[in-house]
Amino acid sequence: MQYQQSESRMYYSESLERVVRLASGSAVVIFSVSTCCMCHAVKRLFCGMGVNPTVYELDQDPRGHEIEMALSHLLGGDSAVPVVFIGGKLVGAMDRVMASHIGGTLVPLLKEAGALWL
Amino acid sequence: MSFQQHTTRGSSKSGEGSTDSGSAVNTLSNTPESPTDHRQPPPRQMDSAGGIDSPRISGSHSHPAAAKAKPAQEKKRGPGSNSDEVLDAKTLRRLAQNREAARKSRLRKKAYVQQLESSRIRLAQMEQDLQRARSQGLFLGGGGAASGSINSGGAIFDMEYSRWLDNDHRHMCELRTAFQAHLSDGDLRVIVEGYIAHYDEVFLLKGAAAKSDVFHLITGMWTTPAERCFLWMGGFRPSDLIKMLIPQLGPLTEQQFMGICSLQHSSQQAEEALSQGLEQLQQSLVDTIANGSVNDNMQHMAMALGKLANLEGFVRQADNLRQQTLHQLHRLLTIRQAARCFLVIGDYYGRLRALSSLWASRPRESMIAAADDNSCQTTTDLQMVHSSQNHFSIF
Repeated sequence: MQYQQSESRMYYSESLERVVRLASGSAVVIFSVSTCCMCHAVKRLFCGMGVNPTVYELDQDPRGHEIEMALSHLLGGDSAVPVVFIGGKLVGAMDRVMASHIGGTLVPLLKEAGALWL
Repeated sequence: MSFQQHTTRGSSKSGEGSTDSGSAVNTLSNTPESPTDHRQPPPRQMDSAGGIDSPRISGSHSHPAAAKAKPAQEKKRGPGSNSDEVLDAKTLRRLAQNREAARKSRLRKKAYVQQLESSRIRLAQMEQDLQRARSQGLFLGGGGAASGSINSGGAIFDMEYSRWLDNDHRHMCELRTAFQAHLSDGDLRVIVEGYIAHYDEVFLLKGAAAKSDVFHLITGMWTTPAERCFLWMGGFRPSDLIKMLIPQLGPLTEQQFMGICSLQHSSQQAEEALSQGLEQLQQSLVDTIANGSVNDNMQHMAMALGKLANLEGFVRQADNLRQQTLHQLHRLLTIRQAARCFLVIGDYYGRLRALSSLWASRPRESMIAAADDNSCQTTTDLQMVHSSQNHFSIF
């Protein structure tokens, strides 16, 4: 995954590095907050498809806040979570995930990453 | 005023409200069967004089008639009558019922007009409020109590949506003409893509409305009652739409059919996920509100407000789902199939809206009198239905 060191702040690039590392660690990775209902929705979506995602609850991580900031910066949006990575590649927030599913590209992506068999 | 002596006359209105006697008599004098036309001066004279006889009723003078039209008394006269037409009991009863029906119809019309008048005043008031709200800018949060509790976000969306509906009608006509005229694919494509852009526009409008008044969207106050019945998260349910479409699209290739079934399936999964997310939001909200103690009430309210803010996100994701579904349909189908597809969609929602209008203006049971012969009333009711059929109630 490509990322730019546009920010000189240590935390930002460190956090992004951590994100990249975590995202590459599993086929499907979701950065979430335990109380966020949209995060719950995206988790239900993958579970409903028979996928077993790796979920990182940022509110339960000591350095979670920094990761949230980094993600928010990365996506350029208001909410940092939920964010989904598949096969180490960034898919995006809920709207991108759903657009991908409706567009028929999500399932092939999941199969390619080995998260879904038929 | 005593009507006793006029009971046997077909033109009498005895026993009924005196207010209508004049007009009722007029009604009767217009009917071709009126017996009184031939025989006597204008009926009004009869009423005021209280006792003018016509040769017809001379025989029944002595009857202590009750203050009601008594067709039965006519029977007794029989051959003694020298009227030009035979007025049997059935005809008299029918005439009486017609009068009754006409009278009730007039009363209904009066009530309807009064309702229209008050609605007109209310509408003028609303427009005034809206103007004021517009000039002051959008209200943020709950500060809209000043101008008659109109939430301008919702009202503004309703206006924009009403305009969108007009455009929709125009697009549909254009699409239908183009489709039936068998235009070239290239020309048809332009029109179809124009229609999709038109749908993109409504999602933009809804997105803005979700920011200012999500409750207005999610409770479906911007739609008609029949549409509201099928509402899912502030709009139509995409998988239901596809289910409705499949048999109407005409012949599909195997690949297309698979694609559309797959679309329906993924849409269902996405809908399910969003619904579960919303359910969790509602549960969390309930917990927050229920568990507020007296001491930290404000804190709990603040928390509840924070959670409510997430509602906008769900409506937006639902609209996103709807928009993506329409785009995917466009991708899966040929241009002629897509044209037909959008015609079906447009027709379907048009009919749903029309259904709401018809339902709203259907004749109510209480307005129809217990008369046996309803022919007059039915006609008037149908006229009333027809006149309100052309207006799609938005508000």
